[in-house]
Amino acid sequence: MDFSFTPDQTLLKNSARAFLDEHCKPATVRLLWDDARGESESMWKEMAQLGWLGLSLPEEHGGSGLGMVESALLLEELGRAAYPGPFWPTMLAAAAVTDHGTEVQKKRWLGAIATGEARAALALLDADLDWNPDAVATRADKTSTGWQLTGLKRYVAWGHVASVLLVPARTPDGVSLFLVEPGASGIRWTPMMNMDPGTRLADLTLDRVPVRSDDLLGAPGAAAPALHQLLRRGAVGAAAEMLGAARRCLDMAVGYAKVREQFGQPIGSFQAIRHKCADMLLETENSHSAVYYAAWALDAGAEDAGTATSIAKSYVGDASRKVCGEAIQVHGGIGFTWEYDLHMYFKRAKALEAQYGDADFHRELILADVAG
Amino acid sequence: MDLNYSADDRAFREKTRRWLEANTPTDDLKTLAERKAWHRKLYEAGYVGMLWPKEYGGWGATAMQQAIVQDEMARIGAPPAINGLGIGFIGPTIIVHGTEAQKQRYLKKMLTAEEIWCQLYSEPNAGSDLAGLKTRAEDAGDHFVVNGQKIWTSSGPIADWGILLCRTDPKAAKHKGISCVLLNMRQPGVEVRPLKQITGHSLFSEVFMTNARADKSDLIGKLDEGWAIAQTTLGYERGGNSLGRVTRYAIAFRQLVRATKQLRRNGRPLIEDPVVRAKMGRLYAELEVQRYAGLRVLSALNKGDSPGAASSITKLSYTEFEKRYYDTALEILGPWGQMMTAREEFEEIDTSSGEAGTWATAFLWARAGTIYSGSSEIQKNIIGERVLGLPKEVRADRLRS
Repeated sequence: MDFSFTPDQTLLKNSARAFLDEHCKPATVRLLWDDARGESESMWKEMAQLGWLGLSLPEEHGGSGLGMVESALLLEELGRAAYPGPFWPTMLAAAAVTDHGTEVQKKRWLGAIATGEARAALALLDADLDWNPDAVATRADKTSTGWQLTGLKRYVAWGHVASVLLVPARTPDGVSLFLVEPGASGIRWTPMMNMDPGTRLADLTLDRVPVRSDDLLGAPGAAAPALHQLLRRGAVGAAAEMLGAARRCLDMAVGYAKVREQFGQPIGSFQAIRHKCADMLLETENSHSAVYYAAWALDAGAEDAGTATSIAKSYVGDASRKVCGEAIQVHGGIGFTWEYDLHMYFKRAKALEAQYGDADFHRELILADVAG
Repeated sequence: MDLNYSADDRAFREKTRRWLEANTPTDDLKTLAERKAWHRKLYEAGYVGMLWPKEYGGWGATAMQQAIVQDEMARIGAPPAINGLGIGFIGPTIIVHGTEAQKQRYLKKMLTAEEIWCQLYSEPNAGSDLAGLKTRAEDAGDHFVVNGQKIWTSSGPIADWGILLCRTDPKAAKHKGISCVLLNMRQPGVEVRPLKQITGHSLFSEVFMTNARADKSDLIGKLDEGWAIAQTTLGYERGGNSLGRVTRYAIAFRQLVRATKQLRRNGRPLIEDPVVRAKMGRLYAELEVQRYAGLRVLSALNKGDSPGAASSITKLSYTEFEKRYYDTALEILGPWGQMMTAREEFEEIDTSSGEAGTWATAFLWARAGTIYSGSSEIQKNIIGERVLGLPKEVRADRLRS
């Protein structure tokens, strides 16, 4: 029983922290918030050089073959920096291609992703906003050369910079997965503004979008297990990112409480503030336990891996919102200003709360798992 | 990072489970003599005093092994050992601060529960502010004469000995002039009056000392330096119950699931109500997070790291969770959850006190956890000051001294 990180894992975490402290400063994030594209091409290339984009990819396709624990470590640091960009959706799509793709599909996408040439986006939600893979309503009809997709996909993150979209759609055999070109005919994008400008979302209307039969990922009608696995990984990664945001806010709140004086003394000496900070630490440490237990469970194929991922997502979603929110409260008025950095992490955590299944969705999965 | 139990730990668990299956009493233990006999059996099997050094009668086991024993006992519903305060806190204090004569005299009989121990710390006017205690011990040559009152004393009526914090120098500053001494509870100057708790049980009591006698040879550490000893006593939580505790929560959760399948509201079983399901999903998540956190503590202990002030996070976390747990369970169960006597369809559950009871008793018991052994507010002060490094508060008593 060992809940601590290996020296290699600690090294990865420390080097990620060092890189992001230098290349993804709050000022950098602010510039990207105002940028039309919203993510940095040069940072992406550097992430590729650091091996982050291939971290979890198989070695034969230019990756390092590492697991969810390593991805979570990296994502915690990215969350701590409020990094804006398509890192995690790209990694999740790459994992789906790794697990279910043909050799041709793997060759086409995995190397390009590891080297930073390609990005991917996920179009998981349909019009009725149900995260359950069985609820997919977008239709895939057979044509002479492959398929054509028709439907509405909502809140697709980073589709505007993606080279490929992972799109679940319903065929006569059931829900299937398709690799779709973002610029294909019949696709209409409607960008929208999230309260977190570091998460770029758009609705995607598909009107008889042609997809070649080679771009079906896995067998027709067999996408549900792949989508469940994708949601599990997605949920743990989002939880890790939220944990990073919470840790940043906790650090900022404690640092501020030590130096900000009112009534002739540091506000951290008042129990009202100190107890708040203690509660924030408790939530952050419990979140750490939840994230890394779930990440380990996924890597180890533990019996309770599914439940653990839902626990991590629902618990850390609540906890990070509370911790980041209370950090604003500890700061008072300055914490509510645009110029102070706290809101970046608060908004990032909030945006992730609604991704890869919200807390209500995951609590239902937990109960169905343990109680039927 | 590897959260699998080691082969040794798995084998130890298997052995413990087999022993408990063969030896756990099938009938309720009713008398103190029966409970002592069961305790003795646990001790001889190596399941009591596990973390104590072998030279004092302990077993020199690992924190993980102790946690596994507690976990298996919870799983099978075995009655707990007695003398928990003695073995968990007082004995280790004597081991660290006591004289060789004290160790020889007290430790073995504590382990075997031949002598039961209680803790004489809190007073009516010294609770969270323990250093404000007023019980007086006056020098009478070879012994002290003790006068004063203690309160919230667990095991008071059955205790043979107590570890007493008392004031030996009333002129010294508040945290100075306090001594730690062992007090014989079986003497005319010591009167124990049970207190009835909100559960209706009487597990703690008041202790009145009127010209009671404590031998000077029973002084622990140096005269007037008892406060530092009390601080270490309060810090001896070693994660031994971190698995067993969660297993009790999990057993109660399964009982909650069964109850919500039987109970009906609005023409359907409670468990089909989405509101109930959301609440239960949250409870299960929270109880599992307690387990993950417990594994993290055990992993750190295994590596020889001492949790120190961080153990305040654990205590705060599980006691506050317990309140939310039983609050929510009773919210779900409605009037049925409030019954103090078990009906046929309504299984007894393990309460946080380790005693069997109904959901209502568990709900009431949960109020105790955030008060005893340093209230939640005290834990947050410790976390704030010693873990986060926030500045100390300005306190009136510090300004005076």
